[in-house]
Amino acid sequence: MFVGSQHLLLAQYLQLKFIPIAGNKALVLGDSTYYTALNEPITFRNFLFYVSHIQLIDAKGHTTNLNNAYYLINASDTASLNIQLPVKPQIITAIQFTIGVDSVKNVSGVQTGTLDPMLGMFWTWNTGYIFAKLEGNSPVSKAPAHYVTYHIGGYKKAENAIRIVTLTINNQNKEVHQIEIGANVLSWFSGKTPLSIQINPICHSPGKLAQQIADNYAQMFHLIKVE
Amino acid sequence: MKWQFTIITIILFVVVATGFTIESSKPTPLQFIVPAGWPQPVYNFKENPLTVEGFELGKKLFYDGRLSKDGNFPCASCHQQFAAFATYDHNLSHGYNNSLTTRNAPALQNLAWQKAFMWDGGINHLDAQPLAPITAPNEMAETIPNIIKKLNADPDYPILFKNAFGSKEINTKRIMQALSQFELMLVSSNSKYDKVMRGEASFNLPESLGYAIFKQKCASCHKEPFFTDFSYRNTGLPIDDVLQDMGRMKITGDPADSLKFRVPSLRNVAVTEPYGHDGRFFFLINVFDHYRKNMIVGPTTDSLLKNKLNLSNYEIGQLTAFLYTLTDSTFLKDPRFAPPGYTITPPFIHLH
Repeated sequence: MFVGSQHLLLAQYLQLKFIPIAGNKALVLGDSTYYTALNEPITFRNFLFYVSHIQLIDAKGHTTNLNNAYYLINASDTASLNIQLPVKPQIITAIQFTIGVDSVKNVSGVQTGTLDPMLGMFWTWNTGYIFAKLEGNSPVSKAPAHYVTYHIGGYKKAENAIRIVTLTINNQNKEVHQIEIGANVLSWFSGKTPLSIQINPICHSPGKLAQQIADNYAQMFHLIKVE
Repeated sequence: MKWQFTIITIILFVVVATGFTIESSKPTPLQFIVPAGWPQPVYNFKENPLTVEGFELGKKLFYDGRLSKDGNFPCASCHQQFAAFATYDHNLSHGYNNSLTTRNAPALQNLAWQKAFMWDGGINHLDAQPLAPITAPNEMAETIPNIIKKLNADPDYPILFKNAFGSKEINTKRIMQALSQFELMLVSSNSKYDKVMRGEASFNLPESLGYAIFKQKCASCHKEPFFTDFSYRNTGLPIDDVLQDMGRMKITGDPADSLKFRVPSLRNVAVTEPYGHDGRFFFLINVFDHYRKNMIVGPTTDSLLKNKLNLSNYEIGQLTAFLYTLTDSTFLKDPRFAPPGYTITPPFIHLH
């Protein structure tokens, strides 16, 4: 009875799900070795990114700006993968969101909730949010203990790593109740500038490398299922 | 008549009781005074209104060792009031587990007017500053979740947070805002120099000669009334081969910013030794000698210092006299900023 009514309640809102994947399989953190586009082996330990400024676009091109919430998607925290949008199921033709945290929140001191600096997605020495984080190990990494750590951010104009993602949705003019989006970690390593672990096992600050990696991971999303 | 009296009594009781409720749930506003002739502060007080309770909580946190991993390194361990909240005698700061920092702890004063923090300006908001020393492994070496745990376990802190912020919740933002409230009140504006500017005192001859030399040779970077223009400049300090500190370039990634560091304020300069971003100058004379003799002029050295800074022994003497007028003993001994519970008791008077 209780479970049933809760289910009903959830169904009243549009659900957004992020599914961490590697290639074409669900991502397994810790003990699975994957190969990048440059055929470099890697084991992943952490995969996180901020999603904000979610917008829904209808057939006429109208956009619905949702509440300006900041979601921290964390592959190790399944609860964080499901977002209940504050809107009813509706007919839409595209969804748009930002990967990262806008500049205003980067210059306004200390925030709470998902933007709390204690969550580790924050540079203390060079103020700013880490928009996306991918960590692991690779035998080809020359960093201490063969670590691979990519902390990507940068809100200033010259080092802007904020990326906007738009995904087209075709649900045959039916109301969309749930959108499942795959986030492929291997996309970080391919794209306009393929990322070599051997050359760049570490990225810990805003700048050119961070922007190149952001360009790559902006392409990591694809629709798995719309219903 | 009797019923009217009863009604009036009830109304009075309600009014008085309401007054008490408001008084107990709302913190007492604390006024921030902008010294005469100074610009408006850059800190946004609307986002973090100063209150007596917030300030007192911030002070308690500032002096509390529990903000560090082993309890030995409160903020105050490197920011001592008698040194204008810099560290007396330490060129580099001493951190957790016998570690050293890579830079000299700066004085904490007039922070409400400062836009960016640290020698390289890497931190863009006062509230975000404490996160760096608290979490740095060579400073306080603690984590925020651990601090919140320790503070929640304390019998007093949850109540102090309630008094300051309306509920017992302790979170990162509230800790940082309380620390900011304490730090914002650290205003130094009562040195002899300030009194002379206000017409309440006069320079003696060496001081006034020194002030004239200062305005001619130093004031373009050490601009009044803060005695810094808050810019980043390379003043020709040769790079330390161990520290390899590139300064501002680490933040901007721009080679033009190589070896640039924030111009420090000269307020209270007589008590903030050692000097320089890495504290390499232990005495004022070392600084003067650097400018007139030892500077290394490189591609990013400030254009005002391309030919070093010509200073005669006479000028150094007068400048020193002037710089000593920037010592603000009112600030250095202000009991409001002393550790909680610390009172300077007057000497015991033996009455016979």
